[in-house]
Amino acid sequence: MTRRGYLIKRVLQAIFSLWIIATILFFLFRMGLPDPTAALVTEGLNAEQRAAVRAQFGLEEPLWRQYVLFLTNAVQGEFGTSFSYRAPVSEIVWERLANTMILMLAAIVLAYAIGVPLGAWLSWRRGSRTDTAGIFFGLMFRSAPMFWTGMIAILIFGVGLSLFPTSGMRTLPYDADGFFDKIFTLDFLWHAALPVLIVALYYLGSPLLIMRNTMLEVYGEDFIEMARAKGLPERDILYKHAARNALLPVVTQLAVTIGLAAGGQVVVEVVFSWPGLGREILNAVRTSDFPLAQASFLIMAAFVITLNLLVDILYTTLDPRVSFR
Amino acid sequence: MTRKTILAGTSILALGAVAMPAVAQERVPSVEIFTTTESYDPIRYEGAFIIAEAWEELGVDVSVRPMEFSTLLDRFYSEQDFDATILGWSGRVDRLDPQFFLGTLDSRQAELGANNPGGYDNPDYDALYDAQGAEFDIDARQQIVQEMQDLYVPDAPVVVLFNRDEVVAYNNTTFENMNAMAGEALYSEWVPMEAQPLGERATLRIGGPQEPDNVNPLASTSVWGWKWMRLYYDRLVRLSPDVEPVPWAASSVDPVDDVTIDVTLREGMTFHDGEPLTAEDIVFTFNYYMDSDYNYFDSYLAAIDSVEQTGDLSVRFNLSEPSAPFATITLSQIPILPQHLWEGIENPGDLTPDEIPTVGSGPFVFDRYDRGEFMSITTNPDHFHADEIAVDAVEFLIYADAEGVFTALQTGQIDMTAWRLEPGQIPLAEENEELTVVSVPDFGYYHMTFNTRREPFDDRAVRRALSMAMDRERMVNVLLDGRGEVGTSIIAPVNAFWHNAFVERFDYDLDAARAELEEAGYSWDDDGRLQR
Repeated sequence: MTRRGYLIKRVLQAIFSLWIIATILFFLFRMGLPDPTAALVTEGLNAEQRAAVRAQFGLEEPLWRQYVLFLTNAVQGEFGTSFSYRAPVSEIVWERLANTMILMLAAIVLAYAIGVPLGAWLSWRRGSRTDTAGIFFGLMFRSAPMFWTGMIAILIFGVGLSLFPTSGMRTLPYDADGFFDKIFTLDFLWHAALPVLIVALYYLGSPLLIMRNTMLEVYGEDFIEMARAKGLPERDILYKHAARNALLPVVTQLAVTIGLAAGGQVVVEVVFSWPGLGREILNAVRTSDFPLAQASFLIMAAFVITLNLLVDILYTTLDPRVSFR
Repeated sequence: MTRKTILAGTSILALGAVAMPAVAQERVPSVEIFTTTESYDPIRYEGAFIIAEAWEELGVDVSVRPMEFSTLLDRFYSEQDFDATILGWSGRVDRLDPQFFLGTLDSRQAELGANNPGGYDNPDYDALYDAQGAEFDIDARQQIVQEMQDLYVPDAPVVVLFNRDEVVAYNNTTFENMNAMAGEALYSEWVPMEAQPLGERATLRIGGPQEPDNVNPLASTSVWGWKWMRLYYDRLVRLSPDVEPVPWAASSVDPVDDVTIDVTLREGMTFHDGEPLTAEDIVFTFNYYMDSDYNYFDSYLAAIDSVEQTGDLSVRFNLSEPSAPFATITLSQIPILPQHLWEGIENPGDLTPDEIPTVGSGPFVFDRYDRGEFMSITTNPDHFHADEIAVDAVEFLIYADAEGVFTALQTGQIDMTAWRLEPGQIPLAEENEELTVVSVPDFGYYHMTFNTRREPFDDRAVRRALSMAMDRERMVNVLLDGRGEVGTSIIAPVNAFWHNAFVERFDYDLDAARAELEEAGYSWDDDGRLQR
């Protein structure tokens, strides 16, 4: 198959996946969750008043019509009005997604920036105490629940030492002209420090261990032997020859991690009262806010699918062996 | 000789039930208890099992069925398809007037979707319900209300399981004169007006795990929306901390006769944009609410036939029927909206957050609302009550959960909590010298309602016996950690004026329950199952 054919096929696959997900989401919410008006209206509303509320939100329409409407609107990026906020869903979701992504990306970049070289270095010192300690801590933070590490961090750095704030993105109230105005401040960095640290520690384990183990495999390859035979310094062999070749699985892992990051780490967002998408989804499901929940999940899915697609395409360039099968 | 001994005799003679058709009894049908899921509310969930255990001991086949909350509401209210259900009524200030809670046993509210799903039907009770609603003499009304409690309690159509205490805390180094209000605890409309700053900062900071659904006075259906909005919208009447109606935007409320009420407005009031507040705004507001699709206030507005302007500052309310709670509930709940900002808006429920005119005339002025993060209001220097208010602004910080709120309280980021503390936080707060823990009883209640249309709950004796088989003492001690009170009446003890302290009590007593059942002709078969 040609490269172009491969690309077209992959894009079509991605679109198909999205459609399936959108459909499942739509019906899942209507089957799984009960009448949203039960959550929308207060206790003691009679049947007639409930029907009025239902009609107001278009829930009296036949299901297939709601479905078609949902799909057409979704394609145009329109997700309707949130039941509880009475505000356009897209507005809420994009803002929350940005809040989540800035936290997650900062943490992921930090984790990979430290984890990759550290993993390479550990592989070089394999079998030593440093290596054992590195693996231990990597695994420990990977397995420790983040609500726990988060609360410990709050207890020590927030309550005990009063070094860092324990909640939110900024000192409240603040005025910001758009998203970047909000985050390019020292105040934001100060607020983000603890949650970023906690998420980064959690993510650190993956690049660290993957890098270390792949490096160990690479060491057995002939070209390393060759480099040694040429008398190259060990450091050059490690970083210039072995590390480059060990990066591929790390890149895959990175893409998957970023893709899944859109959903945020709900636990961290709750512990640090971070106004992110994860928290919003939780609320939306809890209050049967269909439009908001649907849109959030759909955008998350779109994120994962798009990133996977990008990685696949990137791969064909990075490693020609992964060709158009 | 009772039937039980006859039966015992038959089994000894090994003749069996077939041989003695005259005394053959049928087992009481098995029953299901509906309750919330454990994750939604562990208290109601565990409570159901405590009850089921004792009922089993009485010989009733019972199963507990936890349900997702809105399904539960549907089954209970909309379909009335249940045997016995555990639910609750929250204690909103307007429910301190007995009208609402008494109405939950009125047989005319037993239709599908209405507030008496158990179907209790007692013509005497209904007659008294009408009488108290039309009685303007407060002492006479009190008497009727207490009589109604005496009337329904022995019939046991509903068992009030307990009234839970609301436990909140504030920082005693930053503010004083924080007076908790029944059912509202600290986040009442009075605390911001009464709080006295102790330090330089005069901004009261409240923290809570919930935020308004929206701040549109024609769309918000949550307590969190209205708890905030009532600070910047005036009402004609406000309920005092002792829950007495005091004229607020009204200078006087005068009943002309049973169905006509004249209200005179205070002079010189203005909206936050400087426009004067006149009788026209009052007439507009009530008509606007009555004409809108917004249902939240429907039950309050139901009694109004028409509203007319009788002068620059005077309004006349014509009621369709006498309504004693009109002055306490209706006038104290409906916010006054500025006509000049709302009259052009046709579908007010569809306004986006930016389009909502957040202009009121209240003691505070809306400042900002950043969803998920922050809300603030500033003190209105032009308000007639401004001299009494010591704070210069009120801020509400929104956290993701109760843990975040408590951390903020400990670190001094907030001065008080808007919502109850978690059980584990209470001892921590009590140990902390800077924090004062406040506990107020709730007048809302958790209840078990029997479906009186169904066997076996159609029998008063069964309801009474099963009521005696609910270890509510244990529920309060174990499930609420002692922070609450065993229920007695749908009008809670804390609502002292209306509560009847002398109603029959159903203490936990399985022997008394058995006696009650025997007397009504029930017995137990060889397996110990209840039969009749």
